Amino acid sequence: MRAKLAIVAVGLGIILAGTSLRAHHAFAAEFDANRPLTLRGKLVKWLVINPHSWFQLDVTGDDGKVVTWMIEGGSPNQLIRLGVTQKSVQIGGELVVEAYQAKDGSNKAVGKSFTLADGRSLLLGGSAPGAGGDVK
Amino acid sequence: MTHRLLVTGSGLSVLIAAAWLSATPVSGQSPAGPAAAAKPYKTPRTVDGQPDLQGIWTNQTYTPLQRPANVTKEFYTLDEVLAAEKRAAVREAAVSTPGTTGDVHYSGSEFGLDKSQGTLARSLRTSLIFDPPSGRLPPLSAEGEKRAAAFAEMRKKLGRFDAAQNNELDDRCITTTNAGPPMLPYAYNSNYQIVQAPGYVMILVEMMHHIRMIPLEDRARPPQSVVALTGVSRGRWEGETLVVETTNLNPTTVFGGIDLDAPLDRPAPFRGVSDKLKVTEWFTRIDAESISYKFKVEDPTTWSAPWSAELPMKQTIGPLFEHACHEGNFGLYNTLRGARAEEEKAAAGEKKPN
Repeated sequence: MRAKLAIVAVGLGIILAGTSLRAHHAFAAEFDANRPLTLRGKLVKWLVINPHSWFQLDVTGDDGKVVTWMIEGGSPNQLIRLGVTQKSVQIGGELVVEAYQAKDGSNKAVGKSFTLADGRSLLLGGSAPGAGGDVK
Repeated sequence: MTHRLLVTGSGLSVLIAAAWLSATPVSGQSPAGPAAAAKPYKTPRTVDGQPDLQGIWTNQTYTPLQRPANVTKEFYTLDEVLAAEKRAAVREAAVSTPGTTGDVHYSGSEFGLDKSQGTLARSLRTSLIFDPPSGRLPPLSAEGEKRAAAFAEMRKKLGRFDAAQNNELDDRCITTTNAGPPMLPYAYNSNYQIVQAPGYVMILVEMMHHIRMIPLEDRARPPQSVVALTGVSRGRWEGETLVVETTNLNPTTVFGGIDLDAPLDRPAPFRGVSDKLKVTEWFTRIDAESISYKFKVEDPTTWSAPWSAELPMKQTIGPLFEHACHEGNFGLYNTLRGARAEEEKAAAGEKKPN
């Protein structure tokens, strides 16, 4: 009985893993998995646009020069639904972004994760006000 | 493409799911349940007397369109589904392997895009398709095979990232599987608002902000040469059920332009249907928080038989937000630039003397 259940569970897991259709566009074509970056900088602008938001980050290099990076993130609709808005994100605050750089070598990257200087997630995600609140 | 957006999670009421299965009046496919049989749901009425389907709904589900090859039964038990969802939620939030192609993506969890972070319209079905009873799409007709082969040939010649025109429909913000008909869930933002007025039902599709306007009368349809992204629909009430028949669908954009027969985690461009495609939908409210959504797809020039599927729509929080999607905004440019950079790199590599 135990063995039988385990087989069912594995099968179901595989099914569920392939359920959602896809992410919006082909990130692997745009960004380079061999160019991981950790960027620490000041958030100067958050473009809350669909299908992907963009974060503008001013990063000061070792030579003191400021370089502006554009970092791609997710669709804002669900964030807004969870109570995260432009007002929740502090412009001017320091941000650490783990990212992958664009294949064309420009100062663009996709942000894998966004964290504040104290280690908290910038976008709160599942702990945002209302997150999970609509789960019945 | 991300692992995180491909997996699942949830936390819905067991009772609602059980009631949905036992009370579904449309399909007749669901196992009867004693609790629901004793208390049939009475659909409230709008001011003008229509059964009231209004509200904000989601059809976000983990159930695949087609039944996996290793599954033979029509329904899972609730325990099986709950256990699988729990495991999937963990995978959904897991960080993928750094430096891998699958990792090149923003965190879905941070952006609230994990399924475990939203409302789930849970189905116990092992596949959305219930007819044919195999739970799988019927075989293509001879003409359908021919068309599919022609599409595949064309695809070989035109690379996915050669030009904007070759990008898929959702890359370009044209449409997704959400709008339909038939309305099928997408990876996220699978939200709908239904509004009723005398003589009309309107369905607002959050992504990509489509509006389905359905007149409740059998008025004349335009000629077959006139097509629209969501087709031309005519609705009528059959008792508690809204029946919508849609024709004049655009053969190149229907089903979000995705090949329904491809593995869902490796979507392929849709191979095309004919302009004779007809979709019939049945919307039946089965409790205060759920609609049974059933549809039938007919196109004898594409499939050897019609096929039908059923999935729930579950009430969720509103309002719907505008999804003003701008041709992938920076994404389209960057994707094409990335492909060109790869080509340049490859060409330079070839030119190197060593």
